[in-house]
Amino acid sequence: MPLIIVSSDNFKQGDEIGQKVAGVLGYRYVGRELLTWVASENQVSEEDLARALDDPPGLLARRARRQRMLGYIEAACLNVLLDDNVVCHGLAAHLYVRAVSHALKVRIINEPEQRAEELSQAEGISLDKARKQVLRQTKDERRWSEEAYSLDQTDASLYDLVISLGTLELDKAVEIISDTVSYRKFQPMTYSRKLMQDKALAAGVRLKLMEQFPDIRVEANDGTVVAYIQSLKKDQRKKQEMVRQIAGELPGVRHVEVHIIRDLVGQAAQSSR
Amino acid sequence: MSDNLQVLLLDDEPIVGRRLKPALAKIGCDVDVFEDPEQALAKMAQKEYDVVVTDIRMDQIDGMQVLEFVRDRWPRSKVIMITGYAMMSLAREAMEKGAFDFIAKPFKPDDLRRVIAKAAHALGSDIDFEAVEMEKVNG
Amino acid sequence: MVEGSIQGNGQPPPEAGPQAEEEIEVQGRLGLARGAEQARRALLNRPRFSLRLQIFLGNALAFLIAIAIAIALVASFHRMESKIRFLEIVNDYVMEVEQARRFEKNFFLYGTNLSDAQDNVFKAENILSRNAEELAAIMGAGWREEMLPNLHRYEQLLEKLGQQPQSDQALSKQERRRVQSQVRGQGQQMVSAALGLLSKEKTALAEVLTRSRLLLFYSVGLLLLCMALNAYLLGSRMLSSINRFGQYAHRIASGDFTPLTPSKRYRDEFTELALAINSMIEELEDREAVLVQSHKMRAVGTLTAGVAHELNNPMNNITLTAHMLQEDYADLDDQERLEMIGDVVGEASRAKKIISNLLDFARESGSQLEPLDLPELLRETIALASNQIKLSGIKIDFQASGNLPRVHGDSQQLRQVFLNLILNAIDASSKGGQIQVLVLPADEPNYLAVKVIDSGSGIPAHILPSIFDPFFTTKGKGKGTGLGLSVSQGIVAKHGGRIRVSSQEKQGATFTVVLPVTTIPAELGAKK
Repeated sequence: MPLIIVSSDNFKQGDEIGQKVAGVLGYRYVGRELLTWVASENQVSEEDLARALDDPPGLLARRARRQRMLGYIEAACLNVLLDDNVVCHGLAAHLYVRAVSHALKVRIINEPEQRAEELSQAEGISLDKARKQVLRQTKDERRWSEEAYSLDQTDASLYDLVISLGTLELDKAVEIISDTVSYRKFQPMTYSRKLMQDKALAAGVRLKLMEQFPDIRVEANDGTVVAYIQSLKKDQRKKQEMVRQIAGELPGVRHVEVHIIRDLVGQAAQSSR
Repeated sequence: MSDNLQVLLLDDEPIVGRRLKPALAKIGCDVDVFEDPEQALAKMAQKEYDVVVTDIRMDQIDGMQVLEFVRDRWPRSKVIMITGYAMMSLAREAMEKGAFDFIAKPFKPDDLRRVIAKAAHALGSDIDFEAVEMEKVNG
Repeated sequence: MVEGSIQGNGQPPPEAGPQAEEEIEVQGRLGLARGAEQARRALLNRPRFSLRLQIFLGNALAFLIAIAIAIALVASFHRMESKIRFLEIVNDYVMEVEQARRFEKNFFLYGTNLSDAQDNVFKAENILSRNAEELAAIMGAGWREEMLPNLHRYEQLLEKLGQQPQSDQALSKQERRRVQSQVRGQGQQMVSAALGLLSKEKTALAEVLTRSRLLLFYSVGLLLLCMALNAYLLGSRMLSSINRFGQYAHRIASGDFTPLTPSKRYRDEFTELALAINSMIEELEDREAVLVQSHKMRAVGTLTAGVAHELNNPMNNITLTAHMLQEDYADLDDQERLEMIGDVVGEASRAKKIISNLLDFARESGSQLEPLDLPELLRETIALASNQIKLSGIKIDFQASGNLPRVHGDSQQLRQVFLNLILNAIDASSKGGQIQVLVLPADEPNYLAVKVIDSGSGIPAHILPSIFDPFFTTKGKGKGTGLGLSVSQGIVAKHGGRIRVSSQEKQGATFTVVLPVTTIPAELGAKK
């Protein structure tokens, strides 16, 4: 009945564990395959979507575009996660599915030294160089998540379970995850389901408005949608009306509230708190 | 004993009981409303309810204690927690202690009716929740 | 018992009782003369008596004394000189008279000429008349009567004696003898008078010498004394000022930002320092105000979570009532409908109250001093934190002694202090714990004490002395700024009070805020 969200410092391992857990429990597995659907749904290329998830943060100009790609992915993924019994990996769900009690969040880590060894063998580079590359990868991972979601995805406190493949074998990890998810703690309930629905609705609203309002932030609570947009005073009324209209057409939306943010710096400071 | 689902509702907010008693009666529940957890516990020591709905944050005894008491005394009873102080940790704690469901305030009467219908279903005595819905639409 | 001690203002803790419980203390005084401008005027509005002036005056005095000594010495030398001169004159005079007498003797013995003796007498007379001034200076105007008659008489007698026996007026032998003895007597008298004068003047000279030696001795002593006194006065003035400023620094460090006010009747170089410190205090106070406000906003942030949750209860009541009203509208009678609408209205105003408490507290307000009912203030503060308390599942027990006098202070700032202590106590307590808040008269008269007692794990001994330090925190990264207690301490010190802490490991901590009761009449406080 619960959800399992896997995050890993090694994509292949995370993918494998996710699939195996889904197999053991008879859950549905959602991985990168979802991107094909997201791409066709939003008329973007699958590569762009994958790059938004994988590439380290770069130029500021690309940032807005990446946030938009991530918005597509988030909306699609949250819709899938509205169902029970799903294992999700590789779609950054651990960064946007938060405070949901029936989502078991798992982080799979490797010993840096081991990663370096594997890397040096695979790429045929020296161990020293491989070590540096591993360090840079970790740093990129952190920077990426901090820029995209203001969270450090290498921070263990983000997860319910952290498994080190340096200590436990992959199959053992699968077993542990399957066991853990059977705890009553992770059973969905009205409250946590509602949280997921609110998140999905907010993501859906944001999806519709992202192109016009790249900086839009949306919250939803039981059909009531609150959108925060940036606007100059003169366009304020027009923009508010526009948001209200677009958002109001979506199924599940009963009431729309639009807040205008003028103090961009202050808002940034607030949202990072 | 009637066939009606026996429900105990405990919340130190009197309005909750006042509104939910008739709301639940409509789906065929016999509802006993309590504002004082002690009195509720005393009653439950004698009577087995099918469903117990309890607030978590109360002054003398908190809902978690009520939950533990019911799980202990009447393992068959379904306990539904309602709280204004919903947080992931609290929700997980309630579930781990054997709560049937956990609802955050504010909620609509239908939200609770739906959960109670689910509980009744789990108890093997289905109630016709849809009928009420239909009645509402028609009425 | 864990102990720690920090002393403010160098006063001993008033409650160093037999239990030997040392406590951390911070104290300060709320000066009556607030307002930097007022202090500035008071500082400047005094006659100037600078250190430079004191140094100058001291030196000038020493210089004057030295001059006086020199003059006195010169005068004394002058007197000695004239004495010596006089002695010389008298000496010469005596010599001439004695010479005259020698000739007189020869005349008697060998019948030599008397004119030589007369010559000498004439010379003696000459000496006297030549030095008339000096003689007059020493012997007074009557010297002539004292000396000249004798000399003249002698001269006459000599003349009488010197007349040739062959002349007509020659004296008889008998007559000669009589004149002879008169001459001898006169001569002896003259010599002895002169010698007497000589010895008297010698004694006088010795006296003058002694006196001038004493004068020299005493005046050098006076000079040294004067210089020492000057150095002492100057030194003690500077030292006392430096000490005073040391105390100011201590006082300011403990958070008392009362401007410095005059402590002497005159102003000097230290006045400039005091002015500079006052402007520094102003700057510090501005910064502190910003700090206090930003800290308050953090507390508001903490409370917001509690308020958001607390709002859910009235919201839920409204939601349920509205839905049921909608659902059953047709089946309800007017009475029931009105009752339900009344519930909605009541719950809406309850929600508003929950928010407005917090908004009132969050609102930025100027510092306003007024007489405060401390138990009431604490009741409000506890109400403010009540959501947080409920959220944490902690019980709070509030007790206040009856009929407590008021304290004089800024309600917003004191509320912030108590809120901070209560929030800290909540953080320190585990679920099901209890916090006690007590308001009671302090052990020392004219002070009230507010105690916030938690039943948490206590504060370890090694960190107890540093908990009031800025940026000291035991909370995790991003949870505490470590400024709460430091800011609170500053506020309390400004109110002339102290915060103390005592803690026993595993048995919780007790924070005590001691505040002076109001001594300022209410209307005066209200006017501010």
